[in-house]
Amino acid sequence: MNKTRIVLLTTIMTLVIFWSACNKQEKAVAPPVPGNEFITTLKLVATNVADSTDMVSCAWTKLNPNDTSAPDTSLAHMKLRANAVYNVKVMVLDETKTPPLDITPEIQDRENYHLVCFTIAPGLNLSVQRTDHDTNTPQHEVGLADKFAAGSPSSGNLEVVLHHQPNVKNGDCNRGSIDIDVNFTIYIK
Amino acid sequence: MARFINAMVLLAVLITSPMCNAQVCIYELQGKVTDKHQRPVVGAIVRLLSTSLGAATDTNGNFTITNICRGKDTLVCEAIEYKKTRVVINIADTESIQIVLASGENELGEVVVKGERLQDLHTATQTELSGKALEQTRGATLGQALKELPGLNSVQTGPTLSKPVIHGLYSNRVLIINDGVRQEGQQWGSEHAPEIDPFIANKITVVKGAESVRYGSDAIGGVVLLSPDDLPTQKGITGDVYLIGASNGRMGALSTSLQGAFDKALEGLSWRIQGTLKDAGNFSTPHYYLNNTGLREGDFSANVGYKWKGFDFNVYYSQYNTEVGIFEGAESGSLKDLLIKFESPRPLTRSFFSYDIQRSYQTVYHDLFKASSNYKFHNGGKLDITFGRQKDLRKEYDSDLPLTTDPNILKEPQLSFQLITQTLDLIYTQPNKNGFTGSFGFTGTTSGNVFKGIRYLIPNFRDYNGGIFAIERYSVNKLTFEAGIRYDYRWLQVYQRNPVNLVLYNTTYEYSNITGTAGALYHFNDHLTMNLNTGTAWRAPSINELYINGVHFSDASYEIGDSALKSERSINTSFSVNYTSDKLRSSIDLYYNNIWNYIYEMPLAQPVTTISGVFPAFAFTQDNVNIKGVDVSAQYAFLPNFTYQLKATVVRGYNETIHNHLIYMPADRLDNGIEYHLPNIGKVSEPYVSIDNISVARQTRVPPHTDYVPPPAGYSLWNANVGCLLHIKHNSLNIQFAVDNITNVAYRDYLNHFRYYADELGINYILRLKYSF
Repeated sequence: MNKTRIVLLTTIMTLVIFWSACNKQEKAVAPPVPGNEFITTLKLVATNVADSTDMVSCAWTKLNPNDTSAPDTSLAHMKLRANAVYNVKVMVLDETKTPPLDITPEIQDRENYHLVCFTIAPGLNLSVQRTDHDTNTPQHEVGLADKFAAGSPSSGNLEVVLHHQPNVKNGDCNRGSIDIDVNFTIYIK
Repeated sequence: MARFINAMVLLAVLITSPMCNAQVCIYELQGKVTDKHQRPVVGAIVRLLSTSLGAATDTNGNFTITNICRGKDTLVCEAIEYKKTRVVINIADTESIQIVLASGENELGEVVVKGERLQDLHTATQTELSGKALEQTRGATLGQALKELPGLNSVQTGPTLSKPVIHGLYSNRVLIINDGVRQEGQQWGSEHAPEIDPFIANKITVVKGAESVRYGSDAIGGVVLLSPDDLPTQKGITGDVYLIGASNGRMGALSTSLQGAFDKALEGLSWRIQGTLKDAGNFSTPHYYLNNTGLREGDFSANVGYKWKGFDFNVYYSQYNTEVGIFEGAESGSLKDLLIKFESPRPLTRSFFSYDIQRSYQTVYHDLFKASSNYKFHNGGKLDITFGRQKDLRKEYDSDLPLTTDPNILKEPQLSFQLITQTLDLIYTQPNKNGFTGSFGFTGTTSGNVFKGIRYLIPNFRDYNGGIFAIERYSVNKLTFEAGIRYDYRWLQVYQRNPVNLVLYNTTYEYSNITGTAGALYHFNDHLTMNLNTGTAWRAPSINELYINGVHFSDASYEIGDSALKSERSINTSFSVNYTSDKLRSSIDLYYNNIWNYIYEMPLAQPVTTISGVFPAFAFTQDNVNIKGVDVSAQYAFLPNFTYQLKATVVRGYNETIHNHLIYMPADRLDNGIEYHLPNIGKVSEPYVSIDNISVARQTRVPPHTDYVPPPAGYSLWNANVGCLLHIKHNSLNIQFAVDNITNVAYRDYLNHFRYYADELGINYILRLKYSF
């Protein structure tokens, strides 16, 4: 019987030790990872080829990716001169950081599986031509640098989509998945 | 000729009814038949003389006879080349007996009965996957394997991730119990499949219905119990090797188990080690491959048992490791993305075969340490104590690398969850006295979740759960009554950090519930039994339902938790009729499950706009719902050597609050098959050929405006199987060849979350070999 007691006691002791051994890691909630970056903003910066003082931009922003609030579209519009050609840079920013962090170089580093596509609403007299290329064989366009040719005065929506196309990029927009999909209003005057 | 007769006897025994003339017919007898070298005797027929209840031994020599009545009986064992042996046993008292087979032509052997046990909650509706039916699912996931049972379906995320569905309910409404320990993993989404190697089980029992009383919270839909084979008691080493190859996904699996026991000074000591390796590449639909659907899995377990006087000690450790690719075509950046993919007849990217797993993928690690002990008192009572500690670590890698310039962060998964759970169960089973039996006990659980990730999904938490229960059973003549009651308490503390000033804060929740069960079982005669059971269950809202906030990429939805959700409660009433005769075995289960505060995702009118596009928003909410249905199964020996088999599952879900259908209910399913048993030829025994048709209707009962696309059309699949058992000296080789989806039908299933993106699997040739020694 003595033996039985010893066995029982040892069992219970072991269990108690196991039970209390949990070190409550869950109470130390991990703080945000400082090096981690969020896409908060897509910005277009357009420079008139004929007149470098004519530089306009527009931006679409949502600061907190985990929230159901409406995005900030107060700057999501841009005025272009009629019958002018612009060099356009597409910029991706993390505005949760101060100063805002430019993530575009990281997208550029992964250009072989990214593609920017533009959808121009009917009625908007604009044509868009991508001017940069990746290092795939054969090469494909990327779209972080573009040429916008504005036609006669008009206005309308321009949708800018950044596609993520790992190993499947072939120049076609419908592949892969969508990383960024935002809308701007373009006025041509 | 003698062998042929033997095979016929076996068939006759298999289809013979459970006849119960005595009073308490709730015992289960398990045993093993071996030869004098302790090697298993396969295909021996063991039956009880008074009732004709019987079973044939499997490839390990094991047999199980259920629904046995209390009292004295004679056990008869027959096998080719051995003399028929009889022994008198006393059910309810017998712990373990050995029957030495009397001298046959040239050998001696023996039957070991390991002891019988009461079936838990036998007035509840139960169904079981074991023996040949289980062997035919080897290599499949737990969710896919259980689809074989009437009343069960599986909810899937692509070909490799599946979860069992019982009567329309799944995830955290189905409890999985692995060898007596509640499986605690992340049950926070359809892509979080149970972290279990199905090869560890040699029997899977499913309790259909709300049974929290015996099994604790979360058993709203039912309970899946996985039971490994008992450890051996006879000296010597035995084992099994499974080798499985499937053409689809070019899948290979190897699973081995070795077991043994000692004698003399180490008598009472026994052990088992087991391991599984599995590898698959891209699976294929009839017209294209599903890119990045490969998986790797490596699991092992070790078990040591020691019997000493009235004690029985058992220590078990298992580890499960897997890496699963997520189908490349199922990544949706937005609703627009999803609709483009849905409208395309096939995935837009080039399809090819590869074993490589690319982003996105998930890795899962699960381990379980279990120490259990039981003590049998002199009065026949039994005390069981079980301690379990499990760790579940899940890492999810999105299709793109994290956006960072820090090389250390680049290696990190986007989501990581670590859940560590300790469980302690203490159960006393009282001895049978004047028809009364019963059990009562305490169960305690605590778990801590640590979330790490670079995009938010759920917070950290700690919970403590305690429950006490008592179940009492009374049997008189042909009637058995059963009733039980339980009290549960749950304490949950959630830890978060204010996103602005990073200050830590916590929120505490408490839940308590009383649940009950009551039922009756009536044996009308030798052929007909009926049981009626009403059980209740409860479930506290899970952490994702309370706190999730973010985009679910494969569903292109934005999910919003509600931290004010209350517990779900359900009352399930089930009624079963079982009829068994020489030629017919059939059962009909009817059920009605009423669930109060059923938690589900309701679509919101306003979509959520993120930088990657517009997502329909779904908020967790609760309503009162009911789920009712019928499961039918029948086996009919309509001609000698031919068996017709039918399984039908019909489920109806209705939301009583909004007066509409309940989303994600399984469509009507009918499974028909014919099996032809050939006579034994030489060393080949039990050869068979079977063909099955599985027909699934279109789900038409869906609430409006809750899904992006209508449910897919119904489908009809044909599967075929051939198999036999080869005796090689004292070992055996079980050979089975199956063809799934013979006609290579392209179809989609309503319960597969990837039905927006791709078809289900095309034709699949599967060869399963099992060598037992």
